[in-house]
Amino acid sequence: MALVTYIDAINMALHEEMKRDERIYVLGEDVAVMGGAFRATKDLLQDFGPMRVIDSPLAEGIIVSSSIGAAMAGMRPVPEIQFSDFITPAFDAITQQAAKLRYRSAGSQTCPFTLRVCYGGGVSGGLYHSQTNTTWFAHEPGLRVIAPSTPYDAKGMLKAAIRDDNPVIYFEHKKLYRSIKEDIPTDDYVCDLDKCAVRREGSDLTAVSYGYTMHLMLQAAEKMQQQHGINVECIDLRTLNPIDYATILDSVAKTSRLVIVQEDHRTLGIGSEIAAIAAEQAFDCLDAPIMRVTAPDVPAIPFSKPLEEFYMPTVDKIMAVMEKSAQY
Amino acid sequence: MATKAKERTETTASLPIPVEKMKQLYAMMLRCRTMEERARILYKQSRFSGNYYAAIGQEAIEVGAAIDLRPSDCVAPSHRDFIAGLIKGVPLKSLFSQLYARKTSPDQGRSSPAHGGYAPLNIITPASTIAAQWNIGTGVALALKMQKKDDITMAFCGEGATSLGFWHEAVNFAAVLQLPIVYVVQNNRWAESVNIKYQMRNEDVATRAAGYGIPGISVDGQDVVAVYRVVQEAIERARKGGGPTLVECKSYRWFGHSEIDPAKYRDAEEVEFWHTQRDPIPLTEEYMRKHGVWSDEEKQQVLDAFNKDLEEAIQFAENAPWPEPVEALDHVYSFSIRERALELDRKTWTPQALKKM
Repeated sequence: MALVTYIDAINMALHEEMKRDERIYVLGEDVAVMGGAFRATKDLLQDFGPMRVIDSPLAEGIIVSSSIGAAMAGMRPVPEIQFSDFITPAFDAITQQAAKLRYRSAGSQTCPFTLRVCYGGGVSGGLYHSQTNTTWFAHEPGLRVIAPSTPYDAKGMLKAAIRDDNPVIYFEHKKLYRSIKEDIPTDDYVCDLDKCAVRREGSDLTAVSYGYTMHLMLQAAEKMQQQHGINVECIDLRTLNPIDYATILDSVAKTSRLVIVQEDHRTLGIGSEIAAIAAEQAFDCLDAPIMRVTAPDVPAIPFSKPLEEFYMPTVDKIMAVMEKSAQY
Repeated sequence: MATKAKERTETTASLPIPVEKMKQLYAMMLRCRTMEERARILYKQSRFSGNYYAAIGQEAIEVGAAIDLRPSDCVAPSHRDFIAGLIKGVPLKSLFSQLYARKTSPDQGRSSPAHGGYAPLNIITPASTIAAQWNIGTGVALALKMQKKDDITMAFCGEGATSLGFWHEAVNFAAVLQLPIVYVVQNNRWAESVNIKYQMRNEDVATRAAGYGIPGISVDGQDVVAVYRVVQEAIERARKGGGPTLVECKSYRWFGHSEIDPAKYRDAEEVEFWHTQRDPIPLTEEYMRKHGVWSDEEKQQVLDAFNKDLEEAIQFAENAPWPEPVEALDHVYSFSIRERALELDRKTWTPQALKKM
């Protein structure tokens, strides 16, 4: 075991996997010589050489589409998008090619790659270094979209993604990179990409979130217990597509209340889908309307501190909605 | 950096390529023409639906470029490269099953007609988004280089595709990493209804190669021998680690963008000129006659044999089973989603408290 940060866990997973399988290579802007803008790919170049750790031209489209072709031809690429805000030039590659290749070839051509995408706000990154655009990709059948919230998952889910036979978009939250530490195994392990994780058992209310806001949700749940005696069950979504709806609905069947917390803005976010599934399939279980804590429907996270604070979900905002649900 | 290929020779000097290769190129063009003419008729007869994008009149490009590819070489086709399958050796039954969207097609009825791939021969199943296969093929070339193989990718596109940003991302990437790929632009002067003069300022697509520091060459796309020789050189360079080449083949799109496009936006005289004066098949016949290697009998033999196979393939496709409707749920992931999709429609949860009562 070792006490590591979220970003160390990512780096550890990359080292271990690249050692295990020669087909794995890393490609992206600044990933080689510099070891990544945040150092997620630190020391990979010295350990694995320039054929497996490649500083790409500044062109997200070909970073992803070349990974599709290379994966099709037997490699296991792990390309990186330095900021999720810059993923749009690769939109055709991700949604039209990667998501559809297996389908359009009836399974005869596939592209198992893991696209690491750095995302998320709360770091004074401004409009174009803060976005949480996970939903764009969660909407695409054919893609596995995952977003770990702990160092244990950051390592185990990345390793599982690299070994998965599907194209995986791995969203890593930049605010978590160095803000949390956890004791994790230094040897090999993988996480189940098909399952949510119940982070806190509870009986009065089900709360669902992922990424950075998962931690805010947990803090809010503790305070709800202390201040109001309300016992919140906290589910870490982990996989945004395909969603493990059974774990969520089993919990709703137990608690009868559902609150969804997301850093993304409100309209057609991941919470919309979870709410729709709960309304369709667990209607009889609900004692209160399904409620959401989300960012407002504005185009991106504004830079100025008070504006960003207004935008981001907080423990207080989450508690207010949990109280409203519990009291309904 | 771009250079013009030599004018077609009218001398009786010895052939620039072996006689057998010449005959092979000619016979393959004839098969491509025969197959596509038939496909157009079948479409017009509503024997299959969707659409068809013929490369009739442009056969010299695809045949000259791809005739000597290995099965292990990758081909990245566009929507107008259905004949790439025939040249690379895809069974006719598979090709026509693809047009007919039957269960027996390589994609089991998923892709639009003429968007055909074939995994056993490394033909990428193309998307309709223009230049997508250009990019994916570049990735295949990256893998081939990493795997230290001497196989290559041959990517095809039209001149319209060269206006897209990610067309350029791919060429630059392949140039920087010196990937084993041959880029073949089929400049047929029309991107749907848009003439090349609205597409680009420069006369030759091949000049774009200079911007990426790779060889670029323009060649007469109606001259199968010229295309063959130029592309052979590019293939050789790619196999030996010399990096990518951009080959522009100047041609003309004989018909509309697809079978539903009457192409009324074009000058009839221009169309007539290309049909009557620049058809690569009679041009090649004439060339072979001049070199004394032409035989009417051999032509007939090629046609007879191919027509027989063609009839069989069409019959096979017409009688082939349709996919089962529920197969629409298959091949989304490496695991099946059938159960999940059906459960999402019908399963409901009841409160746990009620269950205990």
